Amino acid sequence: MKNEVTLSIVGSGGDGAVVAGDLVAMACAGRGLHVIKTEAYGPQIRGGESSCTIRIGTAPLFAQADAIDALVVFRFADFARFRSEIALVDRCLVLHEPDDAPPDVLTSTGATFISVPFAQLAKDAGAPAAKNIIALGLLSAIFGLPLDGLRGALRKRFAKKAATVVDANLRALDAGIAHAATLNVDVAKLAEHSEPPRLLMSGNEAAAYGAMHAGCTFFAGYPITPSSEILHLLSEWLPKSGGSCVQTEDELSAIGAVVGASFAGAKAMTSTSGPGLSLMSEILGLSSIAEIPSVIVNVQRGGPSTGLPTKSEQSDLAHALYGSHGDTPRVVLAPCDVEDAFHCTVEAFNIAEEFQLPVIVLSDQLIAQRRETIESSSLVHDVADRRVAVLREGEDYRRYAETPDGVSPMAIPGMRGATYQTNGLEHDERGRPASLFIVHEQMNAKRYRKLDAVAQRYPLFRRFGSEQPELGILCWGSSSGPVREAIAEMNAGGARIAAFVPRILAPLPAAELQSFIDSCERILVIELSYSAQFHHYLRSIVDLPRQRTDVLSRSGGKSLSVSEVIRAATRLVRAETLREVLA
Amino acid sequence: MSCDVTYTAADFKSDLKPVWCPGCGDFAVLNSVHRALVAAGCAPHETVVVSGIGCSSRLPGYVETYGFNSLHGRALPIATGVKLASPRLTVVAVGGDGDGLAIGGNHFMHAARRNVDIAYVMLDNEIYGLTKGQAGPTTPTGDKTKSTTYGNPDPSIDPCALALAVGASWVGRGFSGDVKGTTELMAQAIRHHGFAFLNIISPCVTWRGEEQHKELRTKMRAVPADHDVTDRDAARQFCDEGEGLTVGVLYDVTGPSLLDELAEIERRARATGAADFLKAFRPAAA
Repeated sequence: MKNEVTLSIVGSGGDGAVVAGDLVAMACAGRGLHVIKTEAYGPQIRGGESSCTIRIGTAPLFAQADAIDALVVFRFADFARFRSEIALVDRCLVLHEPDDAPPDVLTSTGATFISVPFAQLAKDAGAPAAKNIIALGLLSAIFGLPLDGLRGALRKRFAKKAATVVDANLRALDAGIAHAATLNVDVAKLAEHSEPPRLLMSGNEAAAYGAMHAGCTFFAGYPITPSSEILHLLSEWLPKSGGSCVQTEDELSAIGAVVGASFAGAKAMTSTSGPGLSLMSEILGLSSIAEIPSVIVNVQRGGPSTGLPTKSEQSDLAHALYGSHGDTPRVVLAPCDVEDAFHCTVEAFNIAEEFQLPVIVLSDQLIAQRRETIESSSLVHDVADRRVAVLREGEDYRRYAETPDGVSPMAIPGMRGATYQTNGLEHDERGRPASLFIVHEQMNAKRYRKLDAVAQRYPLFRRFGSEQPELGILCWGSSSGPVREAIAEMNAGGARIAAFVPRILAPLPAAELQSFIDSCERILVIELSYSAQFHHYLRSIVDLPRQRTDVLSRSGGKSLSVSEVIRAATRLVRAETLREVLA
Repeated sequence: MSCDVTYTAADFKSDLKPVWCPGCGDFAVLNSVHRALVAAGCAPHETVVVSGIGCSSRLPGYVETYGFNSLHGRALPIATGVKLASPRLTVVAVGGDGDGLAIGGNHFMHAARRNVDIAYVMLDNEIYGLTKGQAGPTTPTGDKTKSTTYGNPDPSIDPCALALAVGASWVGRGFSGDVKGTTELMAQAIRHHGFAFLNIISPCVTWRGEEQHKELRTKMRAVPADHDVTDRDAARQFCDEGEGLTVGVLYDVTGPSLLDELAEIERRARATGAADFLKAFRPAAA
């Protein structure tokens, strides 16, 4: 029996590799197993090669697996594209069509090759299009995956199709299961597991749900990979609850509409990726100086420019922190995983509404487009509302009145006796244009003072690992998953490693971060940014002793692996610990 | 719009003094704005005036309503957000020719084609005034300005022709020298259901000369009484006029506005059943 298994299915358009991955992931989620599912595609708009990798475990998972246990390839020509991205375990099972010879790069790996007439079995089962379901039956029988769950997932998936379609697919599943019995494959099965069902969601789905949970009533966006699913979902959901979703002509217009809607009292959001964030930096500054709440979910991809549209990177950090001219206070949050994309999005609304400033949620492609299991009970989060002006008769309303925390109660158009002008020009307490130094200085101080209050109220971070660390890892966002698994593995072998993962990047929880750094013998900064943006940013905020600090920073385009973290950390732990780890 | 109180033009005047040059056409347009808001039955607290950046974009500060002096070229996206979030508000967007046709040109096209329920008033002075005299999209070809030392190489745009081409459902042209006519046009634009575009020729005394105002007055003529305002081709005859300056309603048709479309979308969305947003993410019962 084993505690986890990772499967990959590679096919081309019409093979249903991705559908098969969805079905097995849903079936496992239904049994309370933990799942992380990722997909990869060729550049084709439709058709072309695609792959789907599903990691299934009986205990919580935080990252993709470094290597896969079984690979289904309907055509080896399609596999070539993914060769550098899919690593096989020793004696990995490779299932392929009989008339398709494995390439040398695979035969040299020590994999076990099993030829399976997928297409013929599907035809024999009366479901010629269902070779993916044949593969599912096979894999499930070989690895002991929940068969009842698969049948349920199939019925749900094809619920809108004719009963004959459902029956044909169920027959294909059974044919795959029956064929497995003839293969005489001897591998360890996944341990029996039964817990209450979990939800299976992506980071984009969790962010969109977070927006609904927070009470968002207005969304404007422009399509961009890898964030568009948020636009898609909110176009479906918002009108159901009386809100509006509009697709604008560009990202300038998207955030413009968001700021306009928010000025008129709505909780409003947009989502984008790097190229869109570049355009939005103009109105982000307006949201900051005019003190109008706005939420931007930025799903990072490789940059600069068009960069790597479908792959993850952590290189929008500097832009999120500083992008826009002038002194522009904003808040930046960074989710660590899919569930956290929900929490960070709700928190983004809470902070934006309460402190009247722009809040960026820095997600990334890896979190946004992978699906993973989460507890449905975890999708709850307190919701805060805007500090709206309450006017007394005859009161002289000042929109930007000085207050101890910098937050001035906001009047909403429609309220009598509070008409005011808001402004992208520097302005006085009434919102009237002002270019005097003394007003500019006073207003800058007022706007920045809000960040002090945010820092006090929202010291958001995760800390895990050893209590007395010999090595402290600093990372953020999706990198925290592989770091967490690497630390668990190394600490189980006797190492003392811990990690500090800020979930709020601006303002950083500086005091907590500094005391973590001071408690570690050595520090390792890990990020997927070639120029080490996170490392440089940390240096500008906390004292990071040079002689005790190492950096693992590389381009995105390939997700951080657990073994990569272990390799980097191993060089930095003490020799005696290392012996224990290696032993 | 609330009609429980009667407002006067004075109620819409703010106590802020305009930064405009003496003799600027924008003073007269501001006067029209105050009167038009009364004529259209607006209440100060239920009106939002949104602008971009430029001389004319200072206008919201001089009107006692909710105001938003935003960014260069971005008045229309912001006005769109305001209106969609709070449909009961009257939303008027104002700005100059450079603001709306150059840097904001893309937004102009899309706000018009979506027929978003706002009145967009363009104060057209054929120049960038606030930045002190560079050629704009409506500056005539050949004109020497600060940025076109040897003459403007670019053809100019007639904003009304553009508005007609991109689907505005109401298009009018006014002249700042004709306060009464401009006020009437503006009130109509505000009352129009959908996107109304009002181009107001508002001469710049500083960069286009003291004489332009007088010349325009002699050129001004009303739209002929027999003009069919629902005929787009007929409306186009009053664009790119060269010597003439035809003022009045050029085009006026009624169709579903963006708010109407969104209300219909909400009806369709609700008809698909109760909102269970997590349904798709829940595994099927085994």
